[in-house]
Amino acid sequence: MLSEGLGLGLLSTSYIKILGKTLCLCLAAIAMDLVWGYCGILSLGHFAFFALGGYMIGMWLMYERTKDIVINSLANNALPSTSEEIKEAIGTQIFGVVGGSDVPAIWYFADSLEVQLAFVIIIPGLLALVFGWLAFRSRVTGVYLSILTQAMTLALALYLFQNDSGLRGNNGLSGLQNIPGLTNVPQSLISIWFLWSSALVLTVFYFLAAWLVSGKFGNVIEGIRDDELRVRFLGYNVELYKLFVFTLTAIITAIAGALYYPQAGIINPAELAPIASIYLAVWVAIGGRGRLYGAVIGAAVVSLLSSVFTGGQVPNLSLGFATLHWVDWWTVFLGLAFVLVTLYAPKGIGGLADRLFIRGNNR
Amino acid sequence: MNSLLEVNGVSVSFDGYKAVNELSFEIGEGELRAIIGPNGAGKTTFMDIITGKTKPDSGRVNWGTPSRNLLKMSESKIASLGIGRKFQRPTVFENQSVFDNLIISLQKKRDPLSSLFYRLNTEDRANVEELAEEIGLLESIDRIAGELSHGQKQWLEIGMLLAQRPKLLLIDEPAAGMTASEREHTTNLIKRTAGKHAVVVVEHDMEFVRRLDCRVTVLHEGSVLAEGNYEFVTNNKNVIDVYLGR
Repeated sequence: MLSEGLGLGLLSTSYIKILGKTLCLCLAAIAMDLVWGYCGILSLGHFAFFALGGYMIGMWLMYERTKDIVINSLANNALPSTSEEIKEAIGTQIFGVVGGSDVPAIWYFADSLEVQLAFVIIIPGLLALVFGWLAFRSRVTGVYLSILTQAMTLALALYLFQNDSGLRGNNGLSGLQNIPGLTNVPQSLISIWFLWSSALVLTVFYFLAAWLVSGKFGNVIEGIRDDELRVRFLGYNVELYKLFVFTLTAIITAIAGALYYPQAGIINPAELAPIASIYLAVWVAIGGRGRLYGAVIGAAVVSLLSSVFTGGQVPNLSLGFATLHWVDWWTVFLGLAFVLVTLYAPKGIGGLADRLFIRGNNR
Repeated sequence: MNSLLEVNGVSVSFDGYKAVNELSFEIGEGELRAIIGPNGAGKTTFMDIITGKTKPDSGRVNWGTPSRNLLKMSESKIASLGIGRKFQRPTVFENQSVFDNLIISLQKKRDPLSSLFYRLNTEDRANVEELAEEIGLLESIDRIAGELSHGQKQWLEIGMLLAQRPKLLLIDEPAAGMTASEREHTTNLIKRTAGKHAVVVVEHDMEFVRRLDCRVTVLHEGSVLAEGNYEFVTNNKNVIDVYLGR
């Protein structure tokens, strides 16, 4: 009923989820644009923060949901169950799949939504702070920094793949679309709530980012991108600015991830494979870096097209001598698009839009 | 005159090559000084050492009274003490307007939060416009720096240094690649503003140095060969042998 009231009754739940997830990816792209497009730090590891944000909220979702199930099933027992029994039952439920029954120490606060929400910000923020401090302090820049960020996300993924990482190894966390306490609310409605929340958060951070780059701070970080030495010799502590931007964007990306995975329903270590962070950079490049709307356009267009072409819905194209399987060839076309954009429209879709609409401006 | 910067017996070598060798140098407050020397004499390395870009193998670099050791400080810290540096090729923020280039150079708190919450006020605007006037770019104040001519970029960079209200300006080959009238403008700019702060100009062009009409230090193979006024050094036998005579 509410869905019809908001004019989305025509779309299926799965499409609404795709739209909601796309908005989260747009938010991650804004963060990527800030750190790369504006500050010139080509981080190829920001998806690690995205996934970490997802894991942090996923822990609460999975723990509370399992707790509800366990309490319901134990309610049939003759004797009322102790809290220890409940805890053990939860442990077996969640960690049986990796051969354990104890709840790991990192799940200590998993029953508290407030703490896990704080962790969405604190844990990725702390990782970015420590990583950034080590990297920037040693004046690692350019390609070397990009490689280092790839190594960071790869190392984290490999660690999470282990069964004893405490986050269920390659199984990851699942059932995240079931929100504890909202078991009676249909997914069709929850998905709409998430869509609107994602839209709201995206809007808020878009304006925050726009404010961030509009003033002197924006001039300084663009200066760092264009001529780091000049900024340093003007007396600015370049490393501090880089660390600030790197950590802030890591936190924004983590918030995007925390909104994304309840809509995706599942998170596993494959999500933070190095390629995911590269995609993030590709979206921003295609959309047009150094333009916030470009990042949003790039992420929306490419990820939506991606879900269309890899969804198996588009009929294969028969070329007579061969058949074009979109699912297989999509990445090839995406790669080609990236090369073409780099060569012929280095400012991306956003740059093309500028040329079309702001031509009258004599600046 | 109070000594502003004191460089004492500084040496640095790169892969065994002594770029600067037991170099000593002193400049007083508000003094204008030219440094000349053939290629490889160590002029740029000398500036790198003062600004913290290169750490010397030995020697001391002291700043101000009471004197502070510059060798322990980072580039940004040294810059914030009031040492401004102009690079050989013009380095301005090409994607930003002349106005924005000057605004971020103004002497203000340099930490991220101060920049974030900075609001442009009328006083700063007036300061920037005054600076733009001084460097002859008032009419171009809203132009993107990348569109400026080579000479204008050089002036903008000098303007950015002046905006920091420095105590010492280090200017590397300001006249290179300039037309005659641009050179004259540059000479006047440097001479007019010197006095408020000390200036060290590194230059190849002897005519330019003559017009600066100041004390001249001649560097050769990483150390000081001669020092004195223009007439003195140009008539110095050693200087003629290694530099002017060629």
